Amino acid sequence: MPTTSGDRRRILALGGGGFTAAEPSAALDALVLRLTGKRVPRICFLPTASGDQREQVIRFQERFAAWPCERSVLSLFHLAGTQIDPRAHLLSQDAIYVGGGSMRSLLAIWREYGIAETMREAWEAGIVLAGVSAGAMCWFEAGVSRSAGRPEPVLGLGLLPGSLSVHCDSDPERLRAYLRALAEHALPSGYAADDSAALMFAGTELLTCVASRNGAGIRRITIGRPEPIQTPMPIRRLEETAPGAVARRGIGYEDRLALAEFRALRSGRYS
Amino acid sequence: MATRRPQIVAFGGGGFSMESENTLLDDYVLALTEVDRPRICFLPTASGDADHYIVRFYRAFGASRCEPSHLSLFRRETSVADPRAHLLAQDLIYVGGGSVVSLLGTWQAHGLDLALREAWLSGVVLCGGSAGSLCWFSEAVSGFHRGEPRRVLGLGLLPWSNAVHYESEGGRRGAFHTAIRSGMPPGYAANDGAALHFVGSELSQVVSSQAGARAYFVSPDAAGEVVERELPARYLGHDSARCAVAA
Repeated sequence: MPTTSGDRRRILALGGGGFTAAEPSAALDALVLRLTGKRVPRICFLPTASGDQREQVIRFQERFAAWPCERSVLSLFHLAGTQIDPRAHLLSQDAIYVGGGSMRSLLAIWREYGIAETMREAWEAGIVLAGVSAGAMCWFEAGVSRSAGRPEPVLGLGLLPGSLSVHCDSDPERLRAYLRALAEHALPSGYAADDSAALMFAGTELLTCVASRNGAGIRRITIGRPEPIQTPMPIRRLEETAPGAVARRGIGYEDRLALAEFRALRSGRYS
Repeated sequence: MATRRPQIVAFGGGGFSMESENTLLDDYVLALTEVDRPRICFLPTASGDADHYIVRFYRAFGASRCEPSHLSLFRRETSVADPRAHLLAQDLIYVGGGSVVSLLGTWQAHGLDLALREAWLSGVVLCGGSAGSLCWFSEAVSGFHRGEPRRVLGLGLLPWSNAVHYESEGGRRGAFHTAIRSGMPPGYAANDGAALHFVGSELSQVVSSQAGARAYFVSPDAAGEVVERELPARYLGHDSARCAVAA
């Protein structure tokens, strides 16, 4: 993974799936590690959006225990009595994986702890930012959150331009709310991602769309008249990653593709 | 329904989450509602809506004596459609402990800070322990941070400062004194088992679920030195009743 020059900022935004959803495929989770380019990456899971839900933490430990990596969980609800400095801890990672839950609560708590700024620092330092659902939408200018029950637009951190809506296939009501918000110009254009589909960004450029399951897709959705325009994005089906295969296999075909794409992007636009 | 006065009961620690065998404080707040089967809503926000906490709430507040519900701000599957309306329809709102910083940020993001103020003004009894106490005051000393306890701004329904687990958790008392010396409003400090009952913004009485649980009013004197005044506390248990009869 190029880190010496060019744009090394990277974000992987999952529309759903991954370990928190107990997805049978581990391909998207493995991709997070591979994007770091490290043999034994340091990965920190942030379960803030779910209120540090125990199940999410257990699933993280279970899934990533199979791979060579240094795992940690940053629980903002349980900082009492610890000497953990959230900023320092996050900035010492190779990847930060943000779990799903309430986007509204997630961002509110991050702001209280100054983590909104830390995430930008981490991104600019080349730490892979990954997340699912609320943890995916948070990187964009806005998302469509069910934080208050009914799906509604919620502002994100704005590292990435535009909007993202998640669980496109499994939550049609959310997609309808997204399209309605776009039609009303309440949200900027963006993407709707299915469960098990993810967008990979280098800097603020969408590099590629990947999926861990056949049929999972991503649509580009732009403001249009009279209706928002939906355009399916080309998507690459990830190879299944056997547990423990991340390091053994080294860099695989998709990674070479992604690398090539990263390099092309870097030489074309950023060097 | 007669207009009820705004009331807050702030526990220094205690209630169902800390005193599983001792229901005195929880019984006290239920009785304050003056309703046979009060509607009580639990806000477990400060714990991140921890499942085990919610389960214990429902165990402690059985449907035989009240109408319990909870409001989740992290799990959409258990959230109510209109949190404000739900809170305003309660007789008692019970706020759980945890991280007061996370609590206040999350409430603000969901508009609950305003809804709770409305509920309070309309006579819904507000109560809670630890973070669920600190949140009602204008400022507080929180222990839920890396390292030393630190000052945090609360909702400001009560124009005082607050400290909880005052003498049981190292550093709280010292930090409270330091903060008051450096300009934090004077305020109330409560130990585990002691509860501060406010009517409007004034302290009405201190009650306790443990004989000898203490609460203090802490303020600077004319010279700026911090003065700690112990407040009389009424023990809610049977022993005090027996003593009263004997006396």
